Amino acid sequence: MLFDWGSLAPLRLRSRLVAEGVYAGSHRSARRGAGIEFGGHRPYTPGDDLRWLDRRSLLRHDHLLVRQFETETDRALRVVVDATESMAYAGTTAHGSGTKASPSKLEFASVVAAALARIAVGSGDPVGLSFLGGSVPNVGVTGGREAFERVLGALESLTPRGDATMDPDVVERAVGGIARTARRGSVVVILSDLLDLPEGAIERMGAICSRGRVVVVVQTLHPDEVQFPFREPTRLRASEGDFVVESDEESRPRYLAELGELTRTWQDAIVKRGGRFTRAVTDQNPVETVRNILDLAR
Amino acid sequence: MTFVTALALAIAVLVAGPVLAHRLRRRRAEEIVFPAARLVPAAPPLAQKRARLEDRTLLAIRVLAVCALALLGASPLVTCSRLSVERSSGASFALAIVVDDSMSMRVGERDGRSRFQSAKEGARDLLASAHEGDAVALVLAGAPARVLLAATSDLARVRTTLAELEVSDRSTDLEGALGLANSLIAQLPQIDKRIVVLSDRADGNPDAPPLAEGIVLPVWFPLASENTSETTRTSDCGIASADRVGRRVRVVTVCSPGLAALAREVVVVQNEKIVSRAKGETPGETTLDLPEGDYDRLSARLEGTDAIAADDSAPVLSEGTPGSLAIVADAAEETVATGGATVVEQALSALKLDIAAHPVPLLPDREADLRAFSGIVLEDPSGFTPEQRKSLASFLEHGGSLFLALGRKAASPPLGATFEPILRHSLTWGPSAAKGVETKSVDAVFGESLQSFENLEAKGRITFAPEDARTLTSLAQFSDGQNLIARKTVGRGVVWLAALPFSVSESDIALRPGFLSLLSAFVDEVRVRRSPMRSEVGTTWVWEKIGGLHIEGPHGVLTVTHEGDRSKASPSHLGAYQVTGEKFSETRALSLVAKELDMRPRAVAASTKTTNQGGNHSKLDISSHIALFLLGLMMVELLVRFTMRDATRSQPRQA
Repeated sequence: MLFDWGSLAPLRLRSRLVAEGVYAGSHRSARRGAGIEFGGHRPYTPGDDLRWLDRRSLLRHDHLLVRQFETETDRALRVVVDATESMAYAGTTAHGSGTKASPSKLEFASVVAAALARIAVGSGDPVGLSFLGGSVPNVGVTGGREAFERVLGALESLTPRGDATMDPDVVERAVGGIARTARRGSVVVILSDLLDLPEGAIERMGAICSRGRVVVVVQTLHPDEVQFPFREPTRLRASEGDFVVESDEESRPRYLAELGELTRTWQDAIVKRGGRFTRAVTDQNPVETVRNILDLAR
Repeated sequence: MTFVTALALAIAVLVAGPVLAHRLRRRRAEEIVFPAARLVPAAPPLAQKRARLEDRTLLAIRVLAVCALALLGASPLVTCSRLSVERSSGASFALAIVVDDSMSMRVGERDGRSRFQSAKEGARDLLASAHEGDAVALVLAGAPARVLLAATSDLARVRTTLAELEVSDRSTDLEGALGLANSLIAQLPQIDKRIVVLSDRADGNPDAPPLAEGIVLPVWFPLASENTSETTRTSDCGIASADRVGRRVRVVTVCSPGLAALAREVVVVQNEKIVSRAKGETPGETTLDLPEGDYDRLSARLEGTDAIAADDSAPVLSEGTPGSLAIVADAAEETVATGGATVVEQALSALKLDIAAHPVPLLPDREADLRAFSGIVLEDPSGFTPEQRKSLASFLEHGGSLFLALGRKAASPPLGATFEPILRHSLTWGPSAAKGVETKSVDAVFGESLQSFENLEAKGRITFAPEDARTLTSLAQFSDGQNLIARKTVGRGVVWLAALPFSVSESDIALRPGFLSLLSAFVDEVRVRRSPMRSEVGTTWVWEKIGGLHIEGPHGVLTVTHEGDRSKASPSHLGAYQVTGEKFSETRALSLVAKELDMRPRAVAASTKTTNQGGNHSKLDISSHIALFLLGLMMVELLVRFTMRDATRSQPRQA
């Protein structure tokens, strides 16, 4: 099932549909507790869970004490959305030429991000949202229904902005906070076309994969970027940076080879550091993309 | 080619323009925002591409358009090779086109077309050069010459009539056709009158006086080839007749004159299956024996190929079965005189005419009994009973032949007996005032042998009532003018009447040598009457007072025309025709006319060779065709450009 995400429904509805679609396919929880650490005793109060009653203390001292635990696992979901200019690409349908509608990469990434947020909130996990470029500030990690509303508000007001080639700190601004604050068990989903990112972006993102964090990098591409449909001599201007190149019918195989090389580089770097890497194309069903992300995050 | 034509055609040099334009075309590539542009390897510089020819389809269309323009400029001056009449005074003319549809026009020419196709095309060309106000008549030269269309200024009708015209197997009658053409346009008001003869001039009379001599109007033979070695070398053989007697088929072939005898295989075919074959000389006669079996609708075929294929096949007709001749005579009386068989039987036996003679004591009064006989010789009958009259009428109606030797008894028939339907009045028997025949009257029919009927000895003779005598055709007369031998047609049959009885006791006519000739002539007529009718192609068949006539020929149903009580049909193709009427059905066949195989063209009058009559070249305005082509090219270019624009639009763009 494919929707015209650009015009059919607001992000709230779209994300709900995607999230429900994911649940319809899999009823297992997306997240699990990463572990517990003993945190002391306290007197038993009627109603406490008897599983945590300290049996030794009861037998030895005849005191009803309840064991307390400190949770170390960070159950938060952090979503990083690439909102630079290159994510605005919508291919042939953007001008309504009559061909099949296709969302821009940013629209697609927004739907996926919102759906993930809804799933996380539904599971009682906190959600945070940060952007590579873009027009809105990052959303801090919070839980509850308000958190989803904040994420949704940020995504709805988001417009692509920023030239990553000219802004070497763009990656740091997006993932620096995550690297510092996200603890073991937290899930980080990065939705980006991985194009025109500044030097060192791979290393910076790869660094998040440490400390038991689950990092899923989703290379979000438009079908044109996967197929390269240009046959006639064409001048191609990059979305970011002042770069123009002329292509012809012979450019396609070499372009596809370059794209494959870029993808391989990113995949190798992420996977080597314990992260997960996948590709999503905007003409796919976002339900499948979200389900794929959840599978990788387990 | 005139200077102006060359100049107009020189416009074609401008084709270099589009070529150059396409080569120098600097099409700036469209700029498209593409995020992954940095991954795209740089293509060779555009300068290199400019040297290549782009949009070859468009280039081809434009080059063609320039060429078409050049042609359009020159077209009024372009002459095309086609037949046209020279319009000397510029005024409208009256044109009689004689198209030869005879069999010799089936001969193929070197370009694969038949002479008839060339003639038809020539006629079409002539019509194309005709203008409004011109009168055109169409005459066919297949014998007999016919008017296909009287002079008319309705050129569309002439074209339609011409389009429906087909070649026939008729012989050629160019003189008749010229006469008809002359009479058709001679009285027309146009000053300029022409007769154009589209014929191979092979009318079988190569040595006859030149054609068109004595015709005042200008006559033109545009297709006429001279008597060259090629035309004289064209030869053909065909089957003139194929007759079957019992299990024997006799095939007669004829060939073009001067053609050396050639051995060719002749086959007899039934339903496309060869049932007999034999090698025979052409021209000549070949006899083939059929194996045991029942045969129907046989046809003979000449194997091999020659100039005309249509005459290489002919239906095999069963010759008049020898059948039998009923001889009705008073055997007792005759036997006394001859001491054996009747005199007629003995004469037939002596003649060895391949016909069985059956003595019958009485004339059968049932139709079925009479049908077994091809002819009847009735000696001195004393009239016919009503039953006999009915059966005899039916016998004659179906083509039977009857010979009545009238004598004493005929003059005194019993009550109720008459000679209807042959004679309506009574006969008179009496002594003859004349002793013998008037010899001049018999030469034409029986030849000299009947002169032996001079000084006949007879006890008497029959005199016909004047009313009956008027209905008879006299074949031999007494010297006093009374009929001795007469003939009368009844229905499709025939009755011969003799005014003397054959009995030797009554007259000595049966003892004269001429009697054998008389019987022989009658038997010949019996055969002809009972056999299918074969006639030469071009013959008009006529029937009187016959309704429901239907004729099925080798090319389908033949049109029958009716003029009062008379029905006519004029078949044009060789082969067998099944004629069905209200009360009869018969097979008729058309055979070829041998002289039509003579392919030598006949000479034409010197006046027909003047050069101002017309030519094989005419100026044809093809501007409209070129303009249409140009318009089509423009439409194609628009279509191509539209398609290309769509292709360009389908490329991706930035959101």
